Amino acid sequence: MAEKDYDVIVVGAGAGGGTMARVLGERGAKVALLEAGPMIDPRNDFKTHKWPHDYGHRGAEDGGRAYFGRGTAYGFFTTVSGGWQLEGEPYTSAPGTRFEWFRSRVVGGRTNHYGRMSFRFSEMDFKPYSRDGIGRDWPISYEDIAPWYDRAEEYIGVTGTVEGIPSAPDGKFHDPPAPKVHERLIRAAGRKLGVPFIANRRAVITRSINGRAACHYCGQCGRGCLTASNYSASQIDVFPAVETGNVTVITDSMARAVEVGDGGLARGVIYVDKAARSERRVRGRAVVLAASACETARLMLNSKSKHFPDGIANGSGLVGRYLMDTVGFSLGGTLPALENLPRYDTDGFGGAHLYAPWWLWDGHSKLDFPRGYHIEMGGGFGMPGPGSFGALAREAGYGRELKRRAREAYGTLVGLSGRGEMIPNNQSYMDIDPEVVDRWGIPVPRFHFSFSDYEWKQARHMERTFRDLIEAAGGKVLGIGNTAREGEGIAVPGSIIHEVGTARMGDSPAASVLNKYCQAHEVRNLFVADGASFVSNPDKNPTLTINALSWRTAEYLAEELRKGNV
Amino acid sequence: MSSERGFVSVKALQAPSRREVLRRVALAVTAAGLAQGIDPADGAQVHAEVESERTFRGEYDVKYFNAREFRALERLAELVVPADEGGPSAREGGAPEFIDLLASQNRELADIFTGGILWLDAAAAARGGKQFADAAESDQTALLDALVAAERAYGDGETRWATGEYARFSVFGIREPAEARRGLRFFGWARRLIVDAYYTSPVGIKDLGFVGNSSHTDYEVPREAIEYAFGRSPVREA
Repeated sequence: MAEKDYDVIVVGAGAGGGTMARVLGERGAKVALLEAGPMIDPRNDFKTHKWPHDYGHRGAEDGGRAYFGRGTAYGFFTTVSGGWQLEGEPYTSAPGTRFEWFRSRVVGGRTNHYGRMSFRFSEMDFKPYSRDGIGRDWPISYEDIAPWYDRAEEYIGVTGTVEGIPSAPDGKFHDPPAPKVHERLIRAAGRKLGVPFIANRRAVITRSINGRAACHYCGQCGRGCLTASNYSASQIDVFPAVETGNVTVITDSMARAVEVGDGGLARGVIYVDKAARSERRVRGRAVVLAASACETARLMLNSKSKHFPDGIANGSGLVGRYLMDTVGFSLGGTLPALENLPRYDTDGFGGAHLYAPWWLWDGHSKLDFPRGYHIEMGGGFGMPGPGSFGALAREAGYGRELKRRAREAYGTLVGLSGRGEMIPNNQSYMDIDPEVVDRWGIPVPRFHFSFSDYEWKQARHMERTFRDLIEAAGGKVLGIGNTAREGEGIAVPGSIIHEVGTARMGDSPAASVLNKYCQAHEVRNLFVADGASFVSNPDKNPTLTINALSWRTAEYLAEELRKGNV
Repeated sequence: MSSERGFVSVKALQAPSRREVLRRVALAVTAAGLAQGIDPADGAQVHAEVESERTFRGEYDVKYFNAREFRALERLAELVVPADEGGPSAREGGAPEFIDLLASQNRELADIFTGGILWLDAAAAARGGKQFADAAESDQTALLDALVAAERAYGDGETRWATGEYARFSVFGIREPAEARRGLRFFGWARRLIVDAYYTSPVGIKDLGFVGNSSHTDYEVPREAIEYAFGRSPVREA
């Protein structure tokens, strides 16, 4: 295959890489977009509107493997995405630590299935150290990024209401759908307790834009949307990028290293063509890494050369450091007020129609942890699937009582989930395992991870708050396990799939990997467009900020290309 | 294709006469006991219905179980999720076919059911001299009662139970729980798959009243549902 030169090589076709390729392509740059997995075809790959009984296995998958814990991550109906373990592509953890790493090898990456919660970071999120002396400030402020939040939201489409809450900046919103009954009960309980629930902010359109149909409220965003009424990098970024005529997608290609030229600049990317099991090169004037925080750091650390013996752009030694996930804790309960509730369609626009932004942002002096969390919610009459009535059936025994209880209890469960900010720490990072390589011969990441008291105490606050909310709504909390154990008292590190950090931005080349445009301090034609650039990990789900930062970096890079600076 | 669809189609069950007849027949079989018999007038129609039922289910070729095993599964499905005012039994929800399909693809599951049904038939025979499917309904339910009692006393071997707490809620007489303990793993799996087959089938979805997987121009929440919930709750909408 002939090697071809491009203006920009982008590695990874998810939120960051998809945005980058589209914005560059629209500006006339010739882009090669490398993706480790296949192209996606919504008509064949999405299971939108299917029923369990459309399949002999009812969603339990062949041989009922979902019952044995060997099913598709997030269930059979979830769109093609990835998993916690990929055959032939291991990762390791240092003794005594645990980190779960979810990888999607497909165009669109994890945005094909993600929760689509879309929250702007606030000024206090960008300047946390200035507020409480912990962690580190970003080299940008809210004002710097706000125009790109506007652009991203206007293009992607995000629901919400203007609220004027300092910890949760307002955006360019589509109208949100009406709250469901159980959400109204929890909102009323929140009013009693001083926890404000507002319209959820999700990347779903409720009016038609850019030829995309408005949401039709089937609630199946996680399956992939045949009408593209929600955001996924595949449908909303990569397909339009290809339509510009300037973007070439190279699928099933696993990047191994950034190739470095004689002058210490990036020349291109060395990758493995999986189908041919052959190494290939693609060259360009600039390289953008958007493979996800840990893949990007892995690629940088594996890009060793005489200029960069410890990995490209890693003179600071900070590549892989300050890995963060989100603090997670969930609690469920039953609301007897909902027993035998008149039936209605609770599918809505996918996730919850309400959420609670962090409400004690000015009250940390009275709390024993420094940063906040938001509250997500679940409940309603979900489509029955394998396991939906497992616990109920055990409790009821069998027979007519089982059926009576199922009708009575259906839809009475509510779940509350906290998503909180983790403070970056020295014990949480990734490096390259000295012994293990994947099936492509590429050295794999080794994770080291530790939550501190900051995170554990925040999780206990979540627990008390969720218990109070459920009980104030007249509900009964379902049993909780050992709250001092990872996986019970706090979500297993990595499992919230908000891993960021590993190549943080900053003004000082000694204390950061990237500058404020996500450009490597040491390599002016190397950029990062995924969550690796994050300096902190606020309680806001990261995708919208990845979109906005990538958009901003793309415009900066397009201008630098035009000026001949890269 | 259709051979994988082990349930009675919604359309067929929505025909009132058929549904009513099936309901009465199913009730006669499960609730009142066979001794009570079936109304002769229903009988003729039932015969025709059962014939058409056979035709439908004939589309499914049993892949793993032998005839004795499959009959035990059919009877279990009728007992675990019986016909009632909300819908037919899990047999009509395609539970036996669902279990057979998975067992044909999964040796571990197949072994659980092979051994489990042998145990079930032997336990039924020890009681009344007949294998499970042919046993008197009182013997069948006594066996299931013993399994549930054993489960509450011991746990099902796979699920961690707060046994003490749940034992208090038992409405079933604890008879021979120790003997039934040997059937617990099988029973747990059988119930899980029977319940899942029923509630994922069109008849189960109708029973629950799930009205989603739909398409709307606007999303609305009925006032009636809001008022119902707040009328039963300690909180008030602002």
